[in-house]
Amino acid sequence: MISLKNVSKWYGGFKVLSGCTTEVKKGDVVVVCGPSGSGKSTLIKCVNGLEPFQQGEITVDGISVGDPKTDLPRLRSRIGMVFQNFELFPHMTVTSNLTLAQVKVLGRSLDQATSKGLGLLERVGLTAHKDKYPGQLSGGQQQRVAIARALAMDPIAMLFDEPTSALDPEMINEVLDVMVALAKEGMTMMVVTHEMGFARKVAHRVIFMDGGEIIEDAAKDEFFGKPRSERAQQFLSKILQH
Amino acid sequence: MDSGFDFDVIQRSLPYLFKEGMTFTVTLTLLAMTGGIVFGTLLAMMRLSSVKPVSVLAGGYVNLMRSIPLVLVIFWFFFLVPYIGAWILREPNPVRVGTFWSALITFTMFEAAYYCEIMRAGIQSIPRGQVWSGYALGLNYWQTMAQIVLPQAFRNMLPVLLTQTIILFQDTSLVYVISATDFLGAASKIANRDYRLVEMYTFVAVVYFVISYGLSVLVKHLQERVAVIK
Repeated sequence: MISLKNVSKWYGGFKVLSGCTTEVKKGDVVVVCGPSGSGKSTLIKCVNGLEPFQQGEITVDGISVGDPKTDLPRLRSRIGMVFQNFELFPHMTVTSNLTLAQVKVLGRSLDQATSKGLGLLERVGLTAHKDKYPGQLSGGQQQRVAIARALAMDPIAMLFDEPTSALDPEMINEVLDVMVALAKEGMTMMVVTHEMGFARKVAHRVIFMDGGEIIEDAAKDEFFGKPRSERAQQFLSKILQH
Repeated sequence: MDSGFDFDVIQRSLPYLFKEGMTFTVTLTLLAMTGGIVFGTLLAMMRLSSVKPVSVLAGGYVNLMRSIPLVLVIFWFFFLVPYIGAWILREPNPVRVGTFWSALITFTMFEAAYYCEIMRAGIQSIPRGQVWSGYALGLNYWQTMAQIVLPQAFRNMLPVLLTQTIILFQDTSLVYVISATDFLGAASKIANRDYRLVEMYTFVAVVYFVISYGLSVLVKHLQERVAVIK
């Protein structure tokens, strides 16, 4: 479904990604972890072309992301993305947030889009907030709306860029619950996160990155059992000791 | 009390001053504001473009307009626009444009440079993530701009845009150099005809002050309201 081959990226003279190769198959849940500045957020933004890359190839559902001839907006509309800072549109109500792209990109009627959006809002348990503005919701609620907004486009895969990093601790679980449910339904997911509990529960594979490189790319049990690389071991011992 | 002043002239000329003069001034201000904001927003998008020639072109235009005195631009356009019109319409002789249209084109073009800088700051005040999330949903550049970035930028910058419009309102008085009958122009004509210069110019000053100051107080209130909504 998503395949990366030898992807490298530079910011000026600074190499942020270096020869990253991996694959996410249909129905796979892949967790990407690593210390901050390791390039994991950059990598996931390359997958839907939000960040350009200079070398290598990324294909999603067989379509090349880096090819200038690719209709990027169309491709992106098929890949859901959830951001660290939610990025709901603050000048629109929750319902408008859910319907905007359905109407503008998929050409659905407003009625169709609204019923689709409200259905998903119910699924994340926020129907009561449909007429509110994002600023009136808590962080956890905003992130659940953001997930619903991405799902409203009927994506073939979902990308999560540190979806719980900006949340207060007591709100993390409400977001993770939605993500776990999604994973169990068989959604193809690529998740950048430090939530190792989530990885343990639903991930099929874990990718460990450091210094712009994929250091380890292993099945979940293998990764948590005994990572081959020393850096991954150090990282795990640091974040799992509590 | 015989001071030699005759303030009665004001009352006598009120209908002319407002019906002719102020109508011209307000129409010119509102239309130039609308045109200036639309053109200025386009310029701002061009200035922020990653396509080098586009941003250089817009930047050059803005810097040119901001480096020339407004009076000069008014003159320049007044004499130049008829020739440009003739060139566009392929007419052999200069096109008669009239003072109002000449002034409107001038102010739209000139103020666009200032509105551009305001909108540029407004666009840059929107976090990168907002653009990303628009793109991630499949919106293209124009849709992301129109639906997400510009509405927020516009709201953030509304007080500054209106403050610039108050300046525009005052600046329109400069059209007297092309003998247009704006509010000041109308007053000036009466003042010279009846030789009541002090009375008329004092009255004009008071009217400009009341309107401009009143609007700026309104803008201040608006600023507080916009801040609360955020």
